[in-house]
Order: sequence, then structure tokens, then C-alpha cells
Amino acid sequence: MAAHNLEIRRSSASLWGEKTGLRHLPVVTKFIDTTTCIGCKACEVACQEWNDLGPVPTRQTGSYQTLPELDPEFWNLIRFNEQEFDGGVVWLMRKDQCMHCEDPGCLAACPAPGAIVQYENGIVDVNPEACIGCGFCATGCPFDVPKFHAKTGKMAKCTLCVDRVETGLEPACIKACPTGCLQFGTKDDMVARGRTRVEQLKANGFANAVLYDPPGVGGTGVVTVLGHGDHLEWYGLPRDPHVPLGVRLWKSVLRPLGVVAVFGAVLGAIGHFMYQGPKEPRETGRAPAGDDPTPPAP
Amino acid sequence: MSTTASRTSADPAVLRARRSEDVVVGDEIVRHRLATRVIHWTVALFFFVALFSGLPIWTPVFGWMAHLFGGLHVCRWLHPWAGVLFFVSALVMFVHWLGEMRLQPADREWLRPRKIVAYMKHESDDSQVGKYNGGQKLFFFAAGLGALGLLLSGIVMWFPLAFPRIVRELAILTHDVTFILFVVAIVFHVYLGTAAEPGTFPSMIRGTVSKPWARLHHPRWYREVLGGESRRP
Repeated sequence: MAAHNLEIRRSSASLWGEKTGLRHLPVVTKFIDTTTCIGCKACEVACQEWNDLGPVPTRQTGSYQTLPELDPEFWNLIRFNEQEFDGGVVWLMRKDQCMHCEDPGCLAACPAPGAIVQYENGIVDVNPEACIGCGFCATGCPFDVPKFHAKTGKMAKCTLCVDRVETGLEPACIKACPTGCLQFGTKDDMVARGRTRVEQLKANGFANAVLYDPPGVGGTGVVTVLGHGDHLEWYGLPRDPHVPLGVRLWKSVLRPLGVVAVFGAVLGAIGHFMYQGPKEPRETGRAPAGDDPTPPAP
Repeated sequence: MSTTASRTSADPAVLRARRSEDVVVGDEIVRHRLATRVIHWTVALFFFVALFSGLPIWTPVFGWMAHLFGGLHVCRWLHPWAGVLFFVSALVMFVHWLGEMRLQPADREWLRPRKIVAYMKHESDDSQVGKYNGGQKLFFFAAGLGALGLLLSGIVMWFPLAFPRIVRELAILTHDVTFILFVVAIVFHVYLGTAAEPGTFPSMIRGTVSKPWARLHHPRWYREVLGGESRRP
């Protein structure tokens, strides 16, 4: 999407970053209360409409869930999970989309300068102009969010409606939610709202209620109230998400070591030549060609 | 091969080097026949296309290299194909050279760290060095293994979404470690083949070396070619 009116905090594969350091924006956050979600999918429709995403063929998998997974043309998916609990069945709906991590693994893994940016307000965005469609961001993402669009050769995901947010509007999904289980504001406000809601839940029989804001990725731009915080797998959420170790080793250890090794080898060769000089025979030169050379039999 | 005043005749050494190697022509010895040289430079071409299109994907430090090919989008397309062609040509080279590259006891001796240091100081006793020394043979096998590792990990990185996460992460790390070692080795390969040992580079272009060059760097090969010794001790 690449909103050019917003200050960029971090940019993929960039040596110096793009910050002017002059403009400051509060970090924005989406608040999701799974305990008051009724599974109406208004947010899914609003997302498709606002972002001009095409209709994606649905598949019947024995569930109300629209698609099995997020799709390059479907960025906001309500996951319908049924779990046996306390002698009955609980029906858990969780809104799945980009989590807008404070420490985005996709941005760390991306090799294309400026293809993934994190704006000053915390929104993580794909810039299709710069995206080379390599798919490394999918390896970097602990939530398996970025999807490859085979037709365009680009990665696509939720932009947190950055084009709405930068003009002071709330994201389309928030706008559409009829129960108020989706709300939008500054990170501090949304975390405070989440904590209050968790206390309410705990007082009303949900002893394990939590606010999901995983610290492994520095917290997320989407905070989720979960009634059964002791069973994150029921919601399809990882317990301790972090940027994968392979990606960290690759970008933070092997890459600097490799650059040093490559330049070190070149300098080593030059140094050896200056210190040791060339290795050549004392007597050099060959007889001028055509001077009756008689080749011996092979 | 007689020279007449009416027509220019081709250089007899070059003519001989089209088909034969390990033969003496005048003051020169044919070291690499034409087929060997063509294979070597084909591998080198695809290696450097793959290298220069891969480095800007690796780190923005080398981002400027993407402009050699028309941008990073082109590199993303070109790098895997250049890599496949590199592997295929390297495989041909591996088969072509395998017979001459088998490690002999003298080569293992050559590869002891003390001997390598002596070699770098120009103080080594190379009297038992045949057509290729232990270092060249080691580089040959390391390059073959490296090409295979780069291909296998590269295929995973080419189509990352077709593989499980753990395979993707391991492939990225394998590709990185392998190519860093490969580039370091290539830097020394190019250095030793050009500035460090004058007379070596023409052996890969013209195909021939001088007799003094052969006597200095590959004495046993020199003796063999001149007919004194059998190829295998």
C-alpha cells in the first residue's frame, strides 16, 4: 500500500533507514475481544470492499469459516474453532490478520529495500512496487500471515487500512463491527481496555482470560482478549511467537560475518601479494613463435 | 607445420592445444586443451552471473549490483536460473576433471597445514607435485560439494512456500554458509591463478604454459610430460 504521508520507522533491506526523526505519531492498535465476537463476518466483507479485493471462492470444510487460511486476496479471516470444554462445546471465533508486530519477522527476512516498511505509528505494510515476490517474509512471520499472489507475483497482507488511518479514519473492519468487539486507538488505550475486559472476564468465570500481546515479537499492533488463555492452540495462536532463529542467524550473524569474510579474503590476497610477491620461475619467457618449433610425437 | 611467406600460419601451440594436452610444443607445454578451457569458463560465467545477481538479494551492501541486471526483480528471476546453469556446467566439469583429480598420497601430504603455510611462503618442496597439487584437488572437490549444496538449498529458497518452515530456515542457513565459503575460496582461486603465480592465467586462455613454469609449479608433471616418468607413481 505504501502511504507516503506517513513517516517510516523501519524499512526492509535498508542500510540507513528513512526516518527524519521530526514527526512523531502514537502507535495505533487494533483491539479484538473474542468473547463478544458473534461471527457475523461483517469485518471480512468490509475488508474486501475497502481494499478492493476480489471474491475468493469459498470451500466447504464442515465449518462456518470462510476459507481454511488467509489468502492474498483475503486478508481478514474469522477462524471458527469448536472445542470441548467443561462437558459441553465452546465456539471460539478469532479474527485472524496481520498482527503488525513491533519487531516484524517479515521485515527482518525481506531482501528487497523498502518492500516491507514499518511506519512510525507501528503499522507494518508491504510496498508492492518494491516487492520481488521471493516469499522470504512468509518464513520470517511467526503467524504465517503474508501470502503470495501467483497472478501478480507479489506478497499481500492486511495493511491495517493505512490509507484510512493516515487520514484519521479507523480501519474498515473496526468500522463494520456491530458488537464493539473490534475497537481501534492508541496502543496504551487498547491495552488498558483489554486489561479491564480481562478483569471483567475473570470475575465472571473465565479464570484463565488473558490479553494476547506476545512479548517475543515486542508486542503486536493487534491485542486480543481470549477467554481461554490457557489454551492458545484453541484459537490457533502460537504460545511464544518470535522472529525465527534461522532468520535471526541469517540476518544478524551470518550476513555481517560473510561481508567481513568476503572483504577479508580480498584484502588477504592483496596483502599476500604485497608481502610475498609473485611466485615465478627465475628464467622466464618463451621462444618467439614460428621459430621452427618441432613438436614431439604425443 | 611449416611457415611460408605467402600465408600466415596459426600458432602451432594453439593448434595443438585444441585437441591435446600434456604435450610439448616448442618451448611450451599444453596444459589445458580447448574443451577443458571452454568448460572452465562456462562454469565461471554462470558462477559470476549467479554471484552478482545473488549478492544484492543477500545484503543491501551489494545492492548496487542489482543494476547490472536491471534491478532486484530481475535478479530474483535470474539468480535461480543462473544457479541451475552453474550447477549443470559444474557437474560437466566435475566429470571432465574427476580422473585427474583423484587424491594421491603425495596430495594428502601436501594438504598438511604446515605444508600449506610453506606453500604460501614460497618455501615448499613441490618436487612430487603432479599436474594438480593437493590444494587444487581439494578446491575441485569442495567446489563440487558446494555446487550441490547451493543447488539443493537454492531450490528450497526458489519455491519457499512449497516447503515446511524448518526446511526453509535450514536451506537459508546452508545457502549462506556454503556461498560465503565458496566466495572466499574463489577469491583465492582467482588470486593464485592470476597475480600470485604469473604464467598460470594463459594456461586457461591460450592453453599452454612455459617449461620453466611447469618445472616450478608442477615438477612431477613436467618430468612426466617430457617423458621421464610414468603418470602414476
